[in-house]
Amino acid sequence: MAYINYDNKEIAFKIVYFGPGMSGKTTNLLHVHKALTGHTRSEMVVLDTEEERTLFFDFIPLELGMVEGFALRFNLYTVPGQIHYEATRQLILEGADGVVFVADSRPTEGERNLESFRLMINNLLYYREDPTDFPLVLQYNKRDCERPISTNSIQNELKTGPITCTEAVATRGLGVMETLRDVSRMTVRRFQL
Amino acid sequence: MMNSPGKNKELHDLLNTLLKESSARTVLLISKEGVCIDETGDTSYINTTALGALVAGMFSATREVARMVGEDQFSILLQQGEKRHIHVSLLAQSFMMVVIFEDLQAIGRVRYESNKVAEKVVHCLRRDPRDGGRDAEQLSVPDFREYALNLIDRIFHS
Ligand SMILES: Nc1nc2c(ncn2[C@@H]2O[C@H](COP(=O)(O)OP(=O)(O)O)[C@@H](O)[C@H]2O)c(=O)[nH]1
Repeated sequence: MAYINYDNKEIAFKIVYFGPGMSGKTTNLLHVHKALTGHTRSEMVVLDTEEERTLFFDFIPLELGMVEGFALRFNLYTVPGQIHYEATRQLILEGADGVVFVADSRPTEGERNLESFRLMINNLLYYREDPTDFPLVLQYNKRDCERPISTNSIQNELKTGPITCTEAVATRGLGVMETLRDVSRMTVRRFQL
Repeated sequence: MMNSPGKNKELHDLLNTLLKESSARTVLLISKEGVCIDETGDTSYINTTALGALVAGMFSATREVARMVGEDQFSILLQQGEKRHIHVSLLAQSFMMVVIFEDLQAIGRVRYESNKVAEKVVHCLRRDPRDGGRDAEQLSVPDFREYALNLIDRIFHS
C-alpha cells in the first residue's frame, strides 16, 4: 500500500522490477536513473559488485513533484543478477504497489521466464495481493535478439488472461519509460486512502 | 539534508530525547516500506533515503530468518562496527527506530532508552489523521489521482 506521511506531506509508491536473472532489470533502472537525473533524490543505490551480486537490491528514489500539497515519490527496486536464494527475491515484493515483470525475449529463456513469473505470482499471494487485480506490466525485453519470443507467450503458457505488455530494448533505452509510465499509471489509479 | 524533519513535533521531541539520553549520534524513524519518517542528530554523513530502504530490507530478511527458527520476528537488531554501531528496534510490526551510536559501552543505555520511548512513539504514530482528523480531508483522492497521472505523463515520457 502507498505510504502516506501526513506530517512530512509525502506519498510514496513502491515499484518492483521482477524477473529472471539477467533479463535486464538493472539496465531498466540505470536508464531511468540517467533519464531522470533531475528527479532523483539521491544516487542510485547499487549494492552489488562484479564479484558479488548477491545482496538485497538496487534502488532508486524518484521525486516527481508536488500533487495536492503532497510530494509524490516513486521508489524503484530490483533484485539484480542471478540470485541463488529465492527468499531474497520474495522479500523485495513486500509492500509493493506495482510490479514490472521483465522477461527475457531470447528463445532460450522461455522456461526461466515462466518459472520466475510463477514465483512472482506466488509471492504476491503470499503478501495477500490478488494477482489479477494488481498493477502489473509485463515487459518483453531484449527485443533486439534473434527470433524473439512472442509477446503472448507467457500469457498463453500460464493462461493468465490479459496483461498490460510492453516491448523493450533496455540497453538502448527503448520502451523503458513507457513501461514505467504504464505501471505508475496503474498504481496511481488504484490509490486509495 | 534530504528529509526535512517531520512536522509532528511530539514525535520529533521523543526522538530528540532518545538521542540525548543515549548519547547517540543519530536517531532515525523508518517505515516498513523503507521511507525515512523523521530524523534527529547528525545526519550529514549518511544518505538517509538509501539507509531507510536498506534497513527495511534488513528487517524483512531478519523476519524470514526468525520464521525459520519458529519466531514471528526478532524485535531488535544490533550491528557492531569498529567506531559506529547501530541499534534497530521494531515498533508495532511497522516502524523501525534506528539509533546510531559510537560508544559501545553505551549499548545498555541505548537499549533501555529505546525501550522507554518506543511505546510513546507508537502512540504518536497511531494517531493517524486518517482516523477522522482534519488532515485527511486535505487530500482529495480523485484530484490526487488526476494530478498525479498528469505528472506521470509529463515526466515518464521517452
Ligand atoms: N541485447 C540486449 N541485451 C540486454 C538488454 N537489456 C539488458 N541486456 C544485457 O543483459 C545483461 C543483464 O542485464 P541486467 O540489467 O544486469 O540484468 P538483471 O539481472 O535483470 O538486473 C547485461 O549484459 C545487459 O547489458 C537488451 O534489451 N538487449
